[in-house]
Amino acid sequence: DMPIQYERVGADVTMKCGSMDWDAAVTWTVNGTDIDESRLNGSYLILKNVNLTQSGQYSCYEGSSWHLKYQTYLRVGTPPKEPVLMCRSNNYPKGFYCSWHLPTPTYISNSFNISVIHGTKEMVCEKDAVPKNRCHIRYLQLFSTVKYKVTLTVTNALGKNFTTLTFDEFAIVKPDPPESVVAKPVPNNPRRLEVSWQNPSSWPDPESFPLKFFLRYRPLILDQWQHVELSDGTSHTITDAYAGKEYIIQVAAKDNDIGTWSDWSVAVHATPWTEEPKHLTTEAQITETTSASTSSFMAPPTTKICDKGAMVGSGAVAVCWTAGLVVAAYSVLFI
Amino acid sequence: MAGADSPSAALRRRDLCARGIRLVGKMRSDVIDLLDTYMERQGLDASANVAAVEGVPPAAVERWDEQTGTQRLLENLAAYRAFRALLAQMLEEQREQLGEADTALGRALAAVLLQVSAFAYHLEELLRLESRSPPSEEGDGPPPQPRLSLFEQKLRGLGVLRELAQWALRSARDLRQLAKPGPGTGSAPSLAESP
Repeated sequence: DMPIQYERVGADVTMKCGSMDWDAAVTWTVNGTDIDESRLNGSYLILKNVNLTQSGQYSCYEGSSWHLKYQTYLRVGTPPKEPVLMCRSNNYPKGFYCSWHLPTPTYISNSFNISVIHGTKEMVCEKDAVPKNRCHIRYLQLFSTVKYKVTLTVTNALGKNFTTLTFDEFAIVKPDPPESVVAKPVPNNPRRLEVSWQNPSSWPDPESFPLKFFLRYRPLILDQWQHVELSDGTSHTITDAYAGKEYIIQVAAKDNDIGTWSDWSVAVHATPWTEEPKHLTTEAQITETTSASTSSFMAPPTTKICDKGAMVGSGAVAVCWTAGLVVAAYSVLFI
Repeated sequence: MAGADSPSAALRRRDLCARGIRLVGKMRSDVIDLLDTYMERQGLDASANVAAVEGVPPAAVERWDEQTGTQRLLENLAAYRAFRALLAQMLEEQREQLGEADTALGRALAAVLLQVSAFAYHLEELLRLESRSPPSEEGDGPPPQPRLSLFEQKLRGLGVLRELAQWALRSARDLRQLAKPGPGTGSAPSLAESP
């Protein structure tokens, strides 16, 4: 087995050719390629201020016989920086998980050790196969005021580092987002959308640990969200949608009493019901409200804004003046 | 008296549980507000670490999901009876310290004490429904404590309120478990194993 030599980025490295004397004639190669003699000090190989590209297999051969005298694998890397650790319970009250990563790569292999202490008790955090860098732990006690202390230590051949998190049982509770969000138009209701969703499947006992929900929705053409908080139930009817406009809708969840809101669910799109365009006759043209095909307010088709007595104009473009006023007013609002 | 599992008893239990959950939710909210006021008035920091205070029933419990309905009710009742005495003591100390009976802090403490008493009574009702008479109250309150310094009194008060807030959380969960339809509350309800 070839020895591995670990060195920090920027270090100066001197490699000896095994037991050869300093003044022996040798040839060094890196990954099979000869190294220029200018790099040598006698039979020693000098690498100044090493960088990552200099990682590789270094070999030293006796000058005339070309016998292999020494070989090593050089790995250039860095000691670990302080790791980033987070712990979360998305399956309260069963347990929680912690996951971690390094803020910058070390370019060499690292090992992680995690310890969880609750009061005086040391608990075992079982490492997950997938994803790596994650472990899970079961709550042995519930409703405890004693904090949990989690320490993660990362070690590699060039050094070690650690970080610690201290938290209460209830502070790290954050459910997964609601699932199966569905939004549907409501027949004959141009301003309604029916939204329904399910509790996240990772939440083990929604009966004893009910979730509350936060719904947000907006038409695609606007930036401002509308919000609704719902303390129970997994459905809600939006009643103030703009007719004919496509909406984007998301839902988030939180335990009723503790913890923080989940991330937003996957977004769903829906457009409220609109009436099919009628086959136009003269009669229909007069009684139908003016509907510009661009973005203007459209009154529900069953509502009559005016009667025939208040008509202005004639023929195909007859418009009742009250309808005209209304449309003009709303058009200004919606520009 | 109707059996513990009769339909009318089941309805009454669900009703009592629902009302108890609302009561305890309001109580928790008031205790959290009281905690802020208490820390401010007593000059305490939120980071003050109060070790388990003697005489304060800890809310922490192992194998919570395996408890029977009766166990839950008995443990809750014992706890709230203890809190009733502890809060009465805090109110007394408060009056001694400040000399006036009617401060904002005193009023807030008295309001929480009232809710704790109400909830204790509620629990007694639920126990009667399980055909269990509530245990008699032992003695007249917490055992006589050695006289604490003013600072120790303040820390102790903090510990009492923090633990009460935890109990309020636990009680809501306990009552929801109790309200679940299914086998009589005498048997152990268990959480369905999730994959």
